[in-house]
Amino acid sequence: MTTSGAFRERLLEAWTEIRENLGRASLQALGVLLGVASVLGGFSISDSQRQRAEQLYVRLGGLDKLNIQPKAAVRDGQPTALQQANLGLRDEDAADGGTLRPEAIQGVSSQKNARTRVVSATADQDRPVTGIGGDYIPANGYAVEAGRGFSASELEAGAPVTILGTEAAATFFPTGSPLGQILRIGEVPVTVIGTFQERVFRFREDQNNIFRWRNRIIAVPANLVQRRMNGDAYRRVDRITFRIPDLKVMAGFSKQLQGLVKANHRLQDDFRLDDVQARIRRQNSQGDVYDLVFLLSGVLALVGGGIVNVNIQMASLKERVREVGVKMALGASGREIFKSFMTEALLLTALGGLAGLVLGVGFSWIIAHSLGIPLAMTPAAFLWAYALAAAFGFLFALYPAWKASRLSPMEALRYE
Amino acid sequence: MPTIIRTQGLTKVYGANGTAVHALRGIDFTVAKGEFVALIGPSGSGKSTLMAILGCLDAPTEGTYELDGHPVHGLSGGELARIRNGKIGFVFQSYNLLPKASIVRNVELPMLYAGLSRKERRERALALLEKVGIADKADKLPAALSGGQKQRVAVARALANEPALLLADEPTGALDSRTGAEVLDLFRELHHQGHTLLLVTHDPSIAAQAQRKVEIRDGLIALPTGAA
Repeated sequence: MTTSGAFRERLLEAWTEIRENLGRASLQALGVLLGVASVLGGFSISDSQRQRAEQLYVRLGGLDKLNIQPKAAVRDGQPTALQQANLGLRDEDAADGGTLRPEAIQGVSSQKNARTRVVSATADQDRPVTGIGGDYIPANGYAVEAGRGFSASELEAGAPVTILGTEAAATFFPTGSPLGQILRIGEVPVTVIGTFQERVFRFREDQNNIFRWRNRIIAVPANLVQRRMNGDAYRRVDRITFRIPDLKVMAGFSKQLQGLVKANHRLQDDFRLDDVQARIRRQNSQGDVYDLVFLLSGVLALVGGGIVNVNIQMASLKERVREVGVKMALGASGREIFKSFMTEALLLTALGGLAGLVLGVGFSWIIAHSLGIPLAMTPAAFLWAYALAAAFGFLFALYPAWKASRLSPMEALRYE
Repeated sequence: MPTIIRTQGLTKVYGANGTAVHALRGIDFTVAKGEFVALIGPSGSGKSTLMAILGCLDAPTEGTYELDGHPVHGLSGGELARIRNGKIGFVFQSYNLLPKASIVRNVELPMLYAGLSRKERRERALALLEKVGIADKADKLPAALSGGQKQRVAVARALANEPALLLADEPTGALDSRTGAEVLDLFRELHHQGHTLLLVTHDPSIAAQAQRKVEIRDGLIALPTGAA
């Protein structure tokens, strides 16, 4: 008989034994099944949450943005002459920063805000107004739905035009299309040239739209704010954003930019840069923590299942001692007994593992569904769950199999 | 006649020095091919121990044992398993059938360990069941059979690998006298077909059915009797 033939024979024999002892076998497989299901379920819930979080970042405009904002250089006391003479964060910082790593920077945008009275025929409210420059609209995940965006010349000239978020459009122009209508912002009449798409993101289906405030936007060219609403002689801005998709480049860029802006600002720390290192750490660690927690709980489930398994096997070993004795009397060696125990356990592990994968998919679906997040499952999760089950199935089968193989045929036969 | 069993000075000691129990004290014993021998003795005489050693289920403390011309004392567990498989057929008082395996699979089992193919095993097992007269029960579980039928299955299983020696340990002990007599008839038939039988019993009337009686008392052969 060839080796593979013998193996096939052994498998068939194990299958026969499993069928003959279905109750015992199903109990044994149950531990593996639950372990695999919980590892897989854990991983897919972790994956689903992470995918959802990544979707949120992408919708927010991505993790790829580095912001600079002004910061008060003097907390209390009198500012020094140097501090008083300082120019603050301004367009030149954006322009200079853009020359540092032009190949890696995908966009630079600046923001100049004002808070002012906004009046239409139907509404009169005190509102924040966002003055935007550069490629603010795509960088922040906005898209123009109706009408058009700002042209380069409008941005440059600070033309009196505006694009509204859905909430702002509904508030100031509840009936009819807002396009072409006039909105008075502060003292300036501006023409509505477009509306943004509604921004919606719910972490779970039943939660609030966490992008609701983004629909309140009233966007105008930053230069309009600068010149006619809230400007100053130095053309200060409220925020400069660099878009750099490569996080590693961003880390280096961040250091360079820090030096450059500080030099521009006469060595005053009157600005604040996003902490890129913290962001990288967070991005790397968040998923890992989830994975670790779920892997750990899955492994615990498998260990628990394995111990239950050993117990069932040991309990059934007592039931099986005579059986082993008979088989030995008929010519089975200890080796033979060991191999047949192992084959049986591994076959049960394989079958229980497969059933566990099916159950795990079901688990994950139910949990993802009840959390209201889309289900994400990766092949790695399946592989991990199955590999762990196989490893534990093997480990926990060893002891009962070894114990059975060491029985003395005489004592096993006389066992009561 | 060639000998199937030849032992010299077999002893078996259980336990350590202080509390040692000498179950066998030096057994010289021979069985020729084709003989039907009854091993008789009261309980505690050492006949079960001797039976275990002759059946290669246990090893003697001292002495030599040749089975079918080959020394078997001092062999490893695996080698003893191979000898049990190929040279010895056991019939037990309590049948020792696997309760959850079908009758035919019970008979196939020794052939599985001998490495026969599934087809050969099935064919031979069915032929053996035919021979002991219960071919119609092949697919039943042991629990569905009467005691006498179970013992017939056990005999069929014992014959599976054409052993040199059939070892029967109180084979009628769990049966009523009528079915017991039927099983003994089966043994006599096997004897006539040329099988070598060693029957262990405490019942003199059953031992009387054998060709030759050997009595064990206190770990020694008490009454060696020549071939009848």
